[in-house]
Amino acid sequence: MLMETAVLAGEIMLSSGAEIYRVEDTMNHILKMSDAKTADAYVLSTGVLATLENPKAETITVVRRVNERATNLNRICAVNDISRRFCAGSITLETAHRAMQEVEKVQIYKDLFKKISIIGVTGGFALLLGGSMLDGLTAGIVGAVLALVLWLTEKISLNDFCKNAIGGFVIAYSSFVLKQWVLRSCNVDLVVIGSIMPIVPGVTFTTAIRDTLNGDYSSGVARMVEAVVVALAVAAGVGLAMLLWNMMTGGSMLWS
Amino acid sequence: MVIRVVGAFFAVFCFSILLELPVKQLLYAGFVGAVGWMVYLLVEPNHSVVAAAFVSSLVIALLCHIFARLFKKPVTVYFVAGILPSVPGASIYRTVLYLIQGDMSLSTYYLMETLQVAGGIAVAIFIMDSLFRIRKKEKQESLTERRQSPTGRG
Repeated sequence: MLMETAVLAGEIMLSSGAEIYRVEDTMNHILKMSDAKTADAYVLSTGVLATLENPKAETITVVRRVNERATNLNRICAVNDISRRFCAGSITLETAHRAMQEVEKVQIYKDLFKKISIIGVTGGFALLLGGSMLDGLTAGIVGAVLALVLWLTEKISLNDFCKNAIGGFVIAYSSFVLKQWVLRSCNVDLVVIGSIMPIVPGVTFTTAIRDTLNGDYSSGVARMVEAVVVALAVAAGVGLAMLLWNMMTGGSMLWS
Repeated sequence: MVIRVVGAFFAVFCFSILLELPVKQLLYAGFVGAVGWMVYLLVEPNHSVVAAAFVSSLVIALLCHIFARLFKKPVTVYFVAGILPSVPGASIYRTVLYLIQGDMSLSTYYLMETLQVAGGIAVAIFIMDSLFRIRKKEKQESLTERRQSPTGRG
């Protein structure tokens, strides 16, 4: 039961994008609550391993593969909270286990609301980069298109590389179209840069650095590669849109 | 400048929603992002982009560690969204743009800038993490000593 709770905690945290160091730390804290001689948690970026060695009973080892990874800060917070309270002795093991199972189901914001906030992100980033209100508005429209495309790619469960490449392509292309025919006075560079921000791997990149510096090299490198691949996918998408636009407009670059 | 800082707040706030940050923490995350971007804007005119990214990441990391300790939440919670404005999205974009336009020297220039900014952010995070790690170690050691002495168990 204790083992189950610890592994569940690790699984949730890892799939929510916590750093390896934190996942191991949390699992070790929970495992320490047992009377076993040695308790160890070993976490990779794609799975968790935990073992309890007890001279009086059998040795238990549990392996759990973690496939999907999406950053979810609420889950990290909640699991962290539960494990803290459990280790402080203020809740029982049963309560902790049930609470963690609950955590997996919780979703604070509705999907639609999240899609709307993509518009806010792209608009906000365009302003942040020094764009005018018009740029912000244009980026917001592009963000809406991106949200729609992301929703569609999720529907047909496309892999990450294609998803990001298509995202980049749609962003760049719709920005060019808007610039050409609708909002002529906007700064197309800023609009594109602001709009790619939701899919640029900033989060993965930061976690990769922190993993590497904590000494978890294998996960650090794995996440770094993940970040590079996503960045390449976005760049490829944007580049392709530029090429296509050039071909269709006969080489007249509208953004220089 | 004010618009840009407000934009940073708004962008980070909305991005935190995408990352399912609990409602209470949204404002703090936005605050971290806005302050970080303000520092970036203050440093950038007189120094390089890399220096600006470095200093602002330093400030962001410091704020995150302080907030994490104040509200007893993992550091990552404030970190991931707060650091985003400094991430070199613009440099990545320009690298691709000039590559497509066939301007190799400009493309390489922006590629180098991307890598340098990424490195700057990495070093800033590293410095803050290490500083706070030192304090944590001290606290842990004193705690284990205290725990061992009264009971006498190994």
